[in-house]
Amino acid sequence: MRLEKCYFCSSTVYPGHGVTFVRNDSTVFKFCRSKCHKLFKKKRNPRKIRWTKASRRLRGKELVNDKTQLIESRRDVPVKVSPELVQKTIEIIKQVHEIKHKRYAHLIEQNNVLEKML
Amino acid sequence: MTSLYNFKGITVVPSAKELKEIVLSKTQRKTPTVVHRQYAISRIRSFYARKIKFLQQTLHDKLSQIINEFPKTEEVHPFYSDLMNILYDKDHYKIALGQVNTNRHLVAQIAREYVRLMKYSDSLYRCKLLKRAALGRMVKLLKRQNSSFEYLEQVRQHLSRLPSIDPNTRTLILCGFPNVGKSSLMNSLSRADVEVQPYAFTTKSLYVGHFDYRYLRWQIIDTPGILDQPLEQRNTIEMQAVTALAHLKATVLFVMDVSEQCDHTIEEQINLFESIRPLFANKPVFVGLNKVDIVRRGEIATEKQALLEQLEKKDIPVCELSTVSKEGVITLRDKACDALMAQRVQRKLQSKGYDNNIISRLYVAVPEPRDDKVRAPFIPPGALVKRTDRAALKENKNVERMECDMPQKFVIPEIWEGHNISDFLREDIEELFADLSKEERERIEAGVYDKDLDSDDEETKKLLRRALVIREKEELAKQEFRIKKGTDQPKVARKIGQKRTRTMENFEHAMSQLGVDISSKKMKNLESDSSHPIRGKRIRVGRSQSLVGNTALPRDVQGVPDIETYDKAKKSKRKGQRPMQQDARKGEGDHHVFDMKPKHLFSGKRGLGKTTRHVLEREDVVMISLILDDIDAVKGKAVEKLLIKLSLELDINLWNQKNMYEFESTGDSYLDMLVDNPDDDERIKIKNGIKGSVGDSEKIFMTVFRRSK
Repeated sequence: MRLEKCYFCSSTVYPGHGVTFVRNDSTVFKFCRSKCHKLFKKKRNPRKIRWTKASRRLRGKELVNDKTQLIESRRDVPVKVSPELVQKTIEIIKQVHEIKHKRYAHLIEQNNVLEKML
Repeated sequence: MTSLYNFKGITVVPSAKELKEIVLSKTQRKTPTVVHRQYAISRIRSFYARKIKFLQQTLHDKLSQIINEFPKTEEVHPFYSDLMNILYDKDHYKIALGQVNTNRHLVAQIAREYVRLMKYSDSLYRCKLLKRAALGRMVKLLKRQNSSFEYLEQVRQHLSRLPSIDPNTRTLILCGFPNVGKSSLMNSLSRADVEVQPYAFTTKSLYVGHFDYRYLRWQIIDTPGILDQPLEQRNTIEMQAVTALAHLKATVLFVMDVSEQCDHTIEEQINLFESIRPLFANKPVFVGLNKVDIVRRGEIATEKQALLEQLEKKDIPVCELSTVSKEGVITLRDKACDALMAQRVQRKLQSKGYDNNIISRLYVAVPEPRDDKVRAPFIPPGALVKRTDRAALKENKNVERMECDMPQKFVIPEIWEGHNISDFLREDIEELFADLSKEERERIEAGVYDKDLDSDDEETKKLLRRALVIREKEELAKQEFRIKKGTDQPKVARKIGQKRTRTMENFEHAMSQLGVDISSKKMKNLESDSSHPIRGKRIRVGRSQSLVGNTALPRDVQGVPDIETYDKAKKSKRKGQRPMQQDARKGEGDHHVFDMKPKHLFSGKRGLGKTTRHVLEREDVVMISLILDDIDAVKGKAVEKLLIKLSLELDINLWNQKNMYEFESTGDSYLDMLVDNPDDDERIKIKNGIKGSVGDSEKIFMTVFRRSK
C-alpha cells in the first residue's frame, strides 16, 4: 500500500480515494478527487491554478529543494531492509518532519514580513 | 430405499376448514357454472351430477394422497416403526389414517346416493337442492375429522424433522448416562454441532453425524442419556435411545464418566451397562472412559478399577479418552470402526443371499515356476534406499517435536502520518540525517529562527495593537447582530425599542468604556426617567399624570388564570406571527410577488439545447423594401397606414412598424419593389408578387426607401 500524490494538486491520495487515469502512451495520472480530475480534463495548467502546490512552489510559497525534502525521495534502488534499519528510519523520519515544519514556518514568516514591507 | 427413511416429502395435511375451501372452490372453478331452467332436464341433471361427482373425485384424490404418503408402520424398517410408535403412538396414528380412509368411502357413498336421487328430480330447483345437500354432507364429514387432520399434520411436521438415519449403513451409537459427554464426543468426531450444556438431558432426541474413515462414510448417532430404570418406567426421550440400540446393527460406544461429574458413580454406570447389556447382543461394544483430563484411570479408587478390569475380562475393550483435550478419541473411533467393519464383512461373506459372491469368482493366476531360478522384481537402488528410510521413519514415531517459538514475523510499517516510509528507507540515511542536523544546528546558532521583535517601531506596534482591538470589537458587534437577528421577539416600534436600550446601566457602561466616569448622583433626572416602566400606550386618566385611575387590566392578562398560561399564550401568539413574518406577507390575502421574473431564471446560456433557439419567437424574416418615388409626398401617417393595410392584406407581421419608414437605406433587402402610388391595382400586383416569391411561413419585413433622383 502506498500513498500517492495527486498529479494536479499534489495532495496525498489515500487508498480507496480518487481516480487513476492511464493514457494510451502509458503515462499514469492519479487524482485525489473529481475536482482535480475535471480540471485536468479541461486541460488546465496546474501551475496556473493558484491553490495547487505546483503553483505555490512557483510563487515561492513552499519549501523548494530543501534538504529535508531530499531525504524523502522515491528511488528505484533496492534497499536491504532489516528491522534495525526500519527502527532507525522511523526515528529519523520524526525528527526530519520536525525540522521541515520549522523551516516551513520560517518561510511563511519571511513571506509575511515581505508582505508587510510592501 | 433411502426415500423411506427421509420423510420430508410428505405433502402438508390441510385442516378440515382449509380442505373444505380447497375442494369446494376447485369444484366451482373446474366445472361449468352456467345453467338455465329452460334447458332440457337431462342437461340440467348432468350438470349438477357432474358437480357432485367432481367433488367426490377431488376429495378422493386428496384423502388418498394423505393416506399413501404417510409411512406405513409395517413397511418401514422396524427401527422407524418403533420410533414412530414412541413418538406418535402407533395406535393413534393408525386410527387417524383409518378414519381418513373411511371418510373416503363415505364420501363415495354419499355421491352415489345423490347422483341416483338426481334421476328423479324434475326441475332445476330440485336438482340444485340435491346438489347442495350432497356437497354439504360430503364437506360436513370433513369437519368431523378435523382432529385427525390436525394430528396428522403435527406428525408430518415432526417426521420431516427427524434425522435421516440409514439403518443399514455403518453406524456407531453413543449411549450412557446423561451428561457423560456423548454430545461432545459426537461434536469432536463428526461435523455435527450438537448442543452441549452442563445440565442433564440436554440432548432430547437422536442426532446423526457423519464422518469418513478409510474412504467410507460412517454415521454416528448421539442418543439422549439413559437412566437406570426398568423399561416400563422409561420416558419418551430415553425410549428413543433404547429403540436405536435395539434395532440398529451398529457398534455401541458406551460412554462413562470417570470423574463422576455427571452425578453418577462408576458403579452406577456399570450397573446401567449391565442392565442394557441384552440390547448389545450381536454388536461390538466398546466402553469409553470420558473426562480423563480431570481424573485418570490410574487415579480412581481401586474398587472401581477392579470393576473396570472385570469389564475388560469380558472382552469389552475399555479406552480412556477426553473430549476436551481430544486424546484417545481417534483411537477409540478407529477401533470401533474396525470392529464393525470386520463384523459386516464377515456377515456379507457368510450370507447366502449375497449373490455377488466375488470370492468365488476371483482367481489369482500365479505362473508355474519352470526352474529354481529366482526372479525377483527389480527395484532401482535409489528407490530402495528411500523405501527403507521411509520405513525407518515410520518406526520412529515417538520422535517428539521440539517446542520452539515460531520466529516472529517482522512487520514493516508502511505509512507514517501521510508519508510512505519506503521513501525514506535508504542505506545512507544516517549520514544524510547527520548532515541535516549539523546544518540545522548551524542555522539555529546563526540566529535564523529568532523572532524579530525589534522590527516594528513604537508607532506601528501601537497601530497593530489598536487594529487588534478594533477587530475584536467588530467580531463582537457581528455576533451581537446575529443574536439580535435571530430572536423571534416581536418587532417593537423604534421609539420604544430605543427607550429600552437607553437605560442607566448601558449609559454608564458606554461612558466607562470611553473613559468617562459618571455617577448616578450627577444624572439624577436620567435615573428617575429610566425607572418608569415603559408602556406602549400611556393611559392618561384625569388631569395629571400622577393621578392614575383604575386602569382595567389588559385583556390578555385578564383572560388567563395564571402566569404560566399567560407565558404560554404569549409564546404561541408570537409563534403564530412567525410564518407570516418570514414570508414577508402582511396577511393571508397578501399574494404580492416581489420578483415575478427573477433574472437568474430568465437569462443566461442554455444548459441543454440548441443555440438556434432565440429568446423571441421563431420567425424567419424576409425584407421587402418599398422604394417610393417621393417620400415627402407619402409621409408620416399615410405611409404607416399603407404599410398596415398591406400587412393586413398580405397577412404578414410587420416588424417594428414605427421605424420602418425612417430608414434611409438598409442594403440587405431580399426583394425590391417599386411602388409609385398606393393604387389598388398596384397593391394587388405587389401582393401577388410577394406571395408568389415568398413562402407563407416567412415574416415579411418592410422598409421604405427613398428613391434617389
